[in-house]
Amino acid sequence: MEEQNYQSIVEKIWPKLKKKHLYPQIPVPRIREATPPKQDGMEENEGVGLEMKEKQMTINGAFISRMKDKMPGHQVIEALLDHGITHYTFCPWDFQTHLMLYAEAKKVTGDKELAKQVANYFIDVIADTHCVKKRFTEIPELHRNLTKGTVEEVIAFLYQKIWGVDLGISPSKMSVKGHGDVVRRLARIPYLDRSRWGESIKKFARSLKPLLVVEQKEQGPRGGKGDRHPQGEHDLNHYSNEEIDQGLRDYAKQTMALSEFKDVVEDFSDELKGTGYGMEGGMGRGRGNPIDADILFYMKLAENYSIPLKKLPLDEKGSLHPHSHSPWEIGSPYQDVDIWTSFGKIMPGITQIWTKKEGKGRGKSEGSPDCLIAIDSSGSMINPRKSLSYAVLGAACATNAYLQNNSKVAVYNFSDAPMGGKDILDYTDQREDIYRVLCKYFGGGTALDLEDLMPLIRVKKSLDFFIITDMKITNLETLIGFFEQIQNRVTAVHIGDNPYAARFQKAVEKKKNISIYTVKRKEDIPYIVLGRIRDYFNPTHIKNY
Amino acid sequence: MKATPQRKKPIFYLSKESGTIKNPFEEFKYFTVPTHDLPLDQIVQSTEAVMDRIRWGYEKLLEEEAKELVWMVQYNTIIKAYEVAEKYVKEVDYAAEDIEDFCFALENTQKIPYLIPGPAGVYISALCNYAKEEEIVLKLSELKTEINLLGFRLPKGKRLMIDGDTGDFTGIGLEGGELAVEGNAKNWTGAGMRGGKILVKKNIGLHTGEWMMGGEIYVGGRVRGLGNIVEGKVYERDKLVYPGKTKYPNLYY
Repeated sequence: MEEQNYQSIVEKIWPKLKKKHLYPQIPVPRIREATPPKQDGMEENEGVGLEMKEKQMTINGAFISRMKDKMPGHQVIEALLDHGITHYTFCPWDFQTHLMLYAEAKKVTGDKELAKQVANYFIDVIADTHCVKKRFTEIPELHRNLTKGTVEEVIAFLYQKIWGVDLGISPSKMSVKGHGDVVRRLARIPYLDRSRWGESIKKFARSLKPLLVVEQKEQGPRGGKGDRHPQGEHDLNHYSNEEIDQGLRDYAKQTMALSEFKDVVEDFSDELKGTGYGMEGGMGRGRGNPIDADILFYMKLAENYSIPLKKLPLDEKGSLHPHSHSPWEIGSPYQDVDIWTSFGKIMPGITQIWTKKEGKGRGKSEGSPDCLIAIDSSGSMINPRKSLSYAVLGAACATNAYLQNNSKVAVYNFSDAPMGGKDILDYTDQREDIYRVLCKYFGGGTALDLEDLMPLIRVKKSLDFFIITDMKITNLETLIGFFEQIQNRVTAVHIGDNPYAARFQKAVEKKKNISIYTVKRKEDIPYIVLGRIRDYFNPTHIKNY
Repeated sequence: MKATPQRKKPIFYLSKESGTIKNPFEEFKYFTVPTHDLPLDQIVQSTEAVMDRIRWGYEKLLEEEAKELVWMVQYNTIIKAYEVAEKYVKEVDYAAEDIEDFCFALENTQKIPYLIPGPAGVYISALCNYAKEEEIVLKLSELKTEINLLGFRLPKGKRLMIDGDTGDFTGIGLEGGELAVEGNAKNWTGAGMRGGKILVKKNIGLHTGEWMMGGEIYVGGRVRGLGNIVEGKVYERDKLVYPGKTKYPNLYY
């Protein structure tokens, strides 16, 4: 009954709240019914007032009831919603920011749980302070009436200091406990300056860490759940799958550091698994296997680069025609979007693309063939699982380009192939399988075994060949001889300049079907054009041989 | 390469009443969101102003010291640099927290041209020695650079606690103050100190207490080597190692 009453309050104040926060695209919040107490007498999420899942905010009815002796229900609801909305409109804003804040906090705390707690408190302080500064809100009143632990008391004293409102915390009490010094440090942080959040959270973590360590010791491990924040936990439930994809992609691009990305992904592995990341299925989603952070790093980083693939006339069985719809994902091509069923919007979850099916006609039409990727993982190459490997990133970008054109990819990962240092993956469209083989590192000598390549080449009538290496190949002459024989389109990418690469360039300079690119920096990768046949006019930024 | 997004043209429509073209967003032209002035704004602003002053002093010190191009750690060079640092520090009204912020600003901010561990240490020491607070805590454990010369000439009545490791010449010329390092200290710690106490929680390097004239050094871990000590006491894990049987400097125990 009470819940229905609260729901009607929410519906009544929601238009006003939307206007106050400049009309955010958030659905009407719901009221959660009080769950029956468990056997141990503890109700699930007893002390949490607000939960956020994707963009749906849910207010705990029991929390409002508990607070009603202290402040009116509509004020509690308004304060909780002001807080919740500000998470979407200001801090953390997106998943990448959340990851960045967590990663910076972890650098100071060195502990996953402490870092999560620090990030939670920091995000809350920013959201509440932004709200108090920019909106008329009941948040201070809510803080005045909340039951507080040691850390919450310190935070409330901080609010008292930086907002200039009385929240009922006596300064003398803080000084006695020695928390005055902590608050003095916390009060100097420019919370509302977004550009400085990275350094600010470090300062915040340095000051709050001793208190959190003491609290952690007193309360013991919490099973990875952290504290029960009355204003809600900040976990991955806040974000939709698309936001998580985008966040990981942006974070990989921003950090460009495998170890940092790996740390964060491993720390969030449980939550990521909960959202479907398990490295089986498309875009790295699916359940079952543990998350391979290295593969995810290259996958997300490669999504930031798109390299063009030149089509060629294929022996065609029939032309493609639109057959059925499938959901559009970030990174998918736009040209297949069905604007009519997508309501004219480009938005994951709404936009649909046409899945094309081959007809029964005969003749030739333009298409992209399958691709055989040969990647060098010898000792002279960077171990992709230790630091960022441009070879793997380049091969990953090529993989994406072929897969997005409905072609299949085979991988030949070689080091000292005649001695067994190789891994071969047959033609497949399973992105994760391809990435797994690309990320394999042997670290030995460098020799190709053509006997391994021939079966992969013979089975295909039309095939593109992509090789990425530093060209320090022991049997380079054999490779050159092989390239002189084949007529397939070859994209050869060499990492850095060396005499071997120069020798290769000179040897194949007359072959029009071979395009050679140098990658010295990650910025060179987008200039690779797959399956390019050299012609008379060439763009100036591409080096021709 | 991303193309520069084109600026959208304003949308205009024909007003039925007047028959003239009207911008539909016209009424938002003067729309402002009311904001409240918070004490935070004031605190942040004044903190920034103080930091600018501290930074300016450091840059001046570098300018004056750069005349010699190479900064040599010689006692007269240090004294000269300290005198310059004192001159600028005395002009600034700052709190102990500003010193810690400055230490991190040395590494993180683009505004400071470079961190030279020597002059930076002299400048930070001057800031500590002239701070209003008697006890100063510097949480420097995440600093990538170990700053030299921290605690230089720390006077009597002052207590400086450093959470993290320190570089060479920590606490040299200590003048009665108490310097606590919650980490390791490198070589020449406590050199030329006249009085006071240095407490190093972990290990300490070579030449510890070189030409030390008085005071005590307590080391929680290992002392790698002692210097030529004139007078004073050195303890290693509560055991007195000087004065003691060790006569030769820089011997491993």
